[in-house]
Amino acid sequence: MDKPRTHKNVVIIGAGMAGLTAALYAGRMNFSVLVLENGIVGGQIANATGIENYPGFTKVSGSELIGNLQAQAENFGAVIDEFDPIQKVRLNATPKIIETDENIYEADVVIIATGMTRRRLPLAESGKYENKGVHYCELCDGHMYQDKTIAVVGGGNAAVDAANFLTKYAKRLYLIHRSQLRADEVSRQRLKENDKAEILLDTEIEALHGDGRLESIDVLNKATGETSTLSVDGIFVNIGVEPNTALFAEELGIGGGRILAGEDCRTKIPGVFAAGDIREKEIRQLTTAASDGTTAALLAEKYINGLKGGNPSW
Amino acid sequence: MVKVYSITQCPWCDKVKKYLKSKNVAFEEHNIEENEADREACYKLTGDLVVPITTVNDKDYVLSFDKEKLDAMLGL
Repeated sequence: MDKPRTHKNVVIIGAGMAGLTAALYAGRMNFSVLVLENGIVGGQIANATGIENYPGFTKVSGSELIGNLQAQAENFGAVIDEFDPIQKVRLNATPKIIETDENIYEADVVIIATGMTRRRLPLAESGKYENKGVHYCELCDGHMYQDKTIAVVGGGNAAVDAANFLTKYAKRLYLIHRSQLRADEVSRQRLKENDKAEILLDTEIEALHGDGRLESIDVLNKATGETSTLSVDGIFVNIGVEPNTALFAEELGIGGGRILAGEDCRTKIPGVFAAGDIREKEIRQLTTAASDGTTAALLAEKYINGLKGGNPSW
Repeated sequence: MVKVYSITQCPWCDKVKKYLKSKNVAFEEHNIEENEADREACYKLTGDLVVPITTVNDKDYVLSFDKEKLDAMLGL
């Protein structure tokens, strides 16, 4: 059976901060707006336990912030579908085509806001222990480590915040990072003051061990050159992120990095915007993702109006 | 009988439950943070405490959110 074909003014790919902000703005312009999400609504911040740097909120969980934004966007008519994965896109076509498992969508404008995915631990044996001691979601899996020993790998804000969160379960927690911490001073200080936590800098994990389940890790102290073994029940990996560009790599000519677009979020293909962490830029924060979503939606309106008049400017 | 083992704060657990509701699949919710018996049942079935776990008749199960596997197990 042929898939149903539906036209939308704006199709937004990705329901994180940038995508949902774009949906809110585009919805308020009375455009037909569809947001497609292959993962979880909220993206990376869905797992954030406490956000303390989003203006207007002293502290808010990722789920609360994104839940409010989703409701706001839906209130203005945006439809969010997180159960119909995208198979392929044709961004150079007119109208643009987005084919999912169950539908074919035509769109005047596509806003790419697919964000990033956590980088996997670069050890050959890490796959063997995934969900058997190696984890990528503190909120989902932290509860398994009540009174256990945990290691968090990474040195950015996400890693240190994860470590701070996991101390509520762990009896002992190691934060392991290959160089010096990059996280905010507030988060670092909080962890340093926690008696359960020990911070191991200039240290790398060299190997994982365990009979079916993770039991210990070998760590190399790069300053001394010494390798030692730590008994751990689980590790949570926060060593950075990778852009989700596979769907667009060919048409946008992406060679492994993020999508090239300026502060106006316009890509090299007319009618296609890149917003949020997927866009190549120096600063990637929740606030800048919201800014990109706003910019992309407002300039989408300009493009669609031009399209209707037969003269879309780009 | 379909059961979903989950915890309170877990975006993938929420996604599984939303998906089952969207397909009108009736299910029982079991919060393994709140109930020791559910924790044990979960561990007995899968050998671990990873959530979400969707089970049918306490026998077949799907870990996390996997649409294809859920559809196959539930006949959707």
